[in-house]
Amino acid sequence: MAGTEELIDELSDLALFADLARPELAGVAHTLEEEWYADGQRILREGFSGTGFYILLEGEVAVRIEGQERARLRRGAFFGEAAILLGEPPGADVVAAGRVRVVHVAGPALHEFLMRHPNVMFRMLQEQTRRLRSANRWAR
Amino acid sequence: MTMTVAERAALLSRVTLFAGLPEASLQALAELAGEAEFGDGDAIVLQGQVGTGLFVIVAGAARVVRGGEELDRLGPGDYLGELAVIDRMPRMASVFAVGPTTCLALASWDLFRRVDGDPELVHSLLRGLALRVRHLSEHHSH
Repeated sequence: MAGTEELIDELSDLALFADLARPELAGVAHTLEEEWYADGQRILREGFSGTGFYILLEGEVAVRIEGQERARLRRGAFFGEAAILLGEPPGADVVAAGRVRVVHVAGPALHEFLMRHPNVMFRMLQEQTRRLRSANRWAR
Repeated sequence: MTMTVAERAALLSRVTLFAGLPEASLQALAELAGEAEFGDGDAIVLQGQVGTGLFVIVAGAARVVRGGEELDRLGPGDYLGELAVIDRMPRMASVFAVGPTTCLALASWDLFRRVDGDPELVHSLLRGLALRVRHLSEHHSH
């Protein structure tokens, strides 16, 4: 378990938090809960409720839809926000590939977290845009 | 066509990208929006150009074209140009008016100015795009 100062240092390296000054980062670090997952453990479960917004700090996760791997996420990646924003169960399984460390915001607390940190939300918006572009397909 | 601010706000409230936005935010957007008229076949946005506007179709229709292939048809209440406005990268497709078409146009600099002081607006954009990402993965799996 990292101390708060170490966690702030770690968060400051991530693109998601690049716009935050240290005092705001300290506030973020206090809000986030740290969790560890073992290899093969599911962090999010496709179609099941009980959600959170997760930011990956160490290790790698596999994103699987109907059992099929669609993507690998690494340090700095985030997931779980779509289900919360849309009020729907997660659209994919997210499974630890090796030992994984994340920080997370519980589903019900996400709206307040985002309202408090609009710069983080804007970084998330840019990442969504990147995902839509890289899909390179037209969908409404 | 000249719409009042209230009419513009009402139209914007029905666009999925702005769904659930508080009245004050809608009102502010409606005040920033300009009306743009296009004739049949006019380009609303062009593939490869860096975007400076997000458009919502008020009346008429549009076709989405990429590399000569028609990808989609859009009608009143549909939006276009949102990705280029957010990341200021080149447009992924062209959109042409089909018949006389009226759009509400939001300039990227106006939108960015709003974004700074209006977290609810960013939240609704994030939600709107999350919906699109989800549709993509659903289409992919079926």
